[in-house]
Order: sequence, then C-alpha cells, then structure tokens
Amino acid sequence: MLVLTRKENESIMIGDNIEVKVLDVKESQVKLGIVAPRAVTVHRREVYLAIQEENAKAAGTAQVEDIAKLLPS
Amino acid sequence: MQLQTTRFGTIEIDLNEVITFTQPILGFQEYRRFILLPGPSAYLQWLQSTDSGELAFLIMNPKSLLPSYALQPAPHELTELAATTVEDLDIFTLVVIPADPSQIRTNLKAPILINPKHRLGKQTILDRSDYPVQYFLAQPQPSTTQPRETTNARSDA
Repeated sequence: MLVLTRKENESIMIGDNIEVKVLDVKESQVKLGIVAPRAVTVHRREVYLAIQEENAKAAGTAQVEDIAKLLPS
Repeated sequence: MQLQTTRFGTIEIDLNEVITFTQPILGFQEYRRFILLPGPSAYLQWLQSTDSGELAFLIMNPKSLLPSYALQPAPHELTELAATTVEDLDIFTLVVIPADPSQIRTNLKAPILINPKHRLGKQTILDRSDYPVQYFLAQPQPSTTQPRETTNARSDA
C-alpha cells in the first residue's frame, strides 16, 4: 500500500482526473473531498460491503414453492 | 443451449434472451450473463446466471411494493445500458428470503437495471439514504402499533 502524509487542504491525484483532498481533520475524523468524473462511482466502503453481503444472501434463496404467499399481494 | 440449474432442472436457453451485465452484481464479478425466468408471482422473477446453473437471484418489481420508488440514472449509466431515458429500463430489486418470514426483505439501495431491448444490465448503487439495503416487506402496520400504545398508556396509569 502506498502511504502519503497530507495536511489540511492538501490533496493527492489518482490518475490525471481524480483528486482526493483533505478538507478537515478533527480529532479522529477526516473530511475528504473527491473530484472525479461522473462515471467514477464513489461510495463509503461499508456501503459496498453491506451490498455485497446482502447480494450473497439473496443468492442463497432457494426455490420455494410458496414464496408468493409470504409476500404482500 | 441447454443449462443445468439447481432450481429449475435442465432448461433450454435462447441465446438471444441472455442479458449481459456491464457491471457485476457486487460480489459476483465473474458472472455477467443472466436470463429472466418467471417467478412464483406476477411481480417476482428469477435472474438465473447462464455462467453457473447454481446461481440465481429472486428479483421483484419494487414499485409493486412502493409505488413511489424512483431513480434517475446518471447520463453515463444510461449510455452504458444503451438507453435514452429511464423509461427504457426495467428496474428490479433483489429479494432475500430467510427462514423467518418477518425477515423477508429487498435491497432498495442497489437495484438491478435492465434494458430489455438491448439485453444489457447492471447493479447500481443509489446515492440516497432513504432507500435501505434491507427493506423489510413486513413493515409495522398501524394495527400492530396501536395495541402497543395502549399497553404504554396502561403502564403509565
């Protein structure tokens, strides 16, 4: 892993069109600003993980004859 | 082409009906081709992988549950799916059916977008906080909250 030290208002470039800027550092929280093309999706990692986990559970759904009965009609 | 599946036995697949995913269902990067199969009710369908007969997702039309469910894909997403407007897309959400029926839920945060005309699909992540990853179908009804209020009133007395 590449490790860089940055101060408030300093930033890093990822490739030539993604900028990650440190906006604010307060106690144990860092506020980041991200400038990226719209085609680049940016989400908190925990959102990704939650969706991945839920997808895995969805894949575990078996053929249940009476699923329809369990759902509101 | 014939496909052996764990849920539906051996099924015949029309290759013209195969939907190619431009972005994977998160966690299932290597499975990019699916077909839609009828589900147990009008608004439920199966998204069966044609790369693996064991992989299938139960999907639903979220509007059947929440008529106001809406999303606006970014222009690059429409392009990616060869769509001009959101009306060109069918929107589905993945359903999880655990043993406990009260835990049946659907993922409103990361719906599946499918362009049925061009047979392209993807899972997208919506940038809004009011659509949860776990939306429980058994939402508390007014009739179940009312007795609870009565109980509180009684304990206050």
